[in-house]
Amino acid sequence: MTTLALTINGRAHGPSEVRDDLTMNDFLREHLGMTGTKFGCGAAQCLSCAVIVDNPDGTSYAGPTCVVSAASFNGKAIRTVEGHAKNGEFSALQKAFIEHFAFQCGYCTAGFLNEAQVLLERLAKKPVARAELEKTIAEGLDGHLCRCTGYIKYHEAVRDVILADPKRYLV
Amino acid sequence: MTMKSDMRFQILVSVAALAVSMTTGYAASQAISNTLASPESFSSIADTDARSAAMFTELGKVLTHPRCVNCHPAGDRPRQGDQSRLHQPPVERGADGHGTETMRCSICHQKANFEPGRVPGHPEWHIAPREMAWEGKTLPEICAQIKDSARNGGRKPEDLIHHIGEDTLVGWAWAPGYGRTPAPGTQKAAGALVEAWVKTGAICPAN
Repeated sequence: MTTLALTINGRAHGPSEVRDDLTMNDFLREHLGMTGTKFGCGAAQCLSCAVIVDNPDGTSYAGPTCVVSAASFNGKAIRTVEGHAKNGEFSALQKAFIEHFAFQCGYCTAGFLNEAQVLLERLAKKPVARAELEKTIAEGLDGHLCRCTGYIKYHEAVRDVILADPKRYLV
Repeated sequence: MTMKSDMRFQILVSVAALAVSMTTGYAASQAISNTLASPESFSSIADTDARSAAMFTELGKVLTHPRCVNCHPAGDRPRQGDQSRLHQPPVERGADGHGTETMRCSICHQKANFEPGRVPGHPEWHIAPREMAWEGKTLPEICAQIKDSARNGGRKPEDLIHHIGEDTLVGWAWAPGYGRTPAPGTQKAAGALVEAWVKTGAICPAN
């Protein structure tokens, strides 16, 4: 057993005792009931299980939860799909996803949403030229699998959010 | 009918014999590939250069093993498994060998193997630099490369004793976790071979 204490969507969880072989995905879904984070391939290949991990230096990344231990998240801060809306108001990305009907079955949406949020935050720190935007979005969302083939819609939704605030995301 | 029965029996025996032979051969090759001879076992080779080269050939069982070659890839993508298939998900080495900016090795590969996820781990998980690629190379080519400080991380031959014999990331190859065949022998045995090879002049095998 290992002691686990972490911050999820700005709220402290634990310390609690967890099994060493417990995956982070099971911890979120089975222990905390946070089922917004999905379990897809179980092999870190579809990234439907990805959550945002906030680094102490202010940067962030989206990483899988299905193949990593819950214990490895001790002391870390993460964000899940449940943390995007504030005070009952969808985030700009969530609204764009809905407007573009970016998801069909929705199973991959949480992973895409988290990855897209990481991309926005990275662009806010390090804007790119408009000419680089399509490639930047494609590379940013690369690795996430959508069996309904909603890639273009996700791409367009993210692009809309960025172009709606060019001073923030573009040079 | 009798002739047909006899013939059927003979074919059956032949097939069974072939199967046994193949199985035995497979088992033997497995047994051979999982062991590593000690430096002392080469003492019967009187010629020092020939002994040195023979010991490197023995070490080659480790160096050409999937546990080593998978992370010494020829391209920018590591390989995985005993079949050395391309790594999935499709990761790349990035600027420092620890993955790209948005897909670092450590996102999945933790400080130790995590068996429930079947993911191998080590605190310094990364792939070898491009100039240290071993994939697709013959043992003499790997030998020449490993002695070349421009292609071995600036190491002297003596440094290889520690690198192969004691480095903990290299040592992972002998404790790779579920579903992966460990490198032959032990890390200590591999280190002993490197040491003996270096002390006998670090001669490369001709083929």
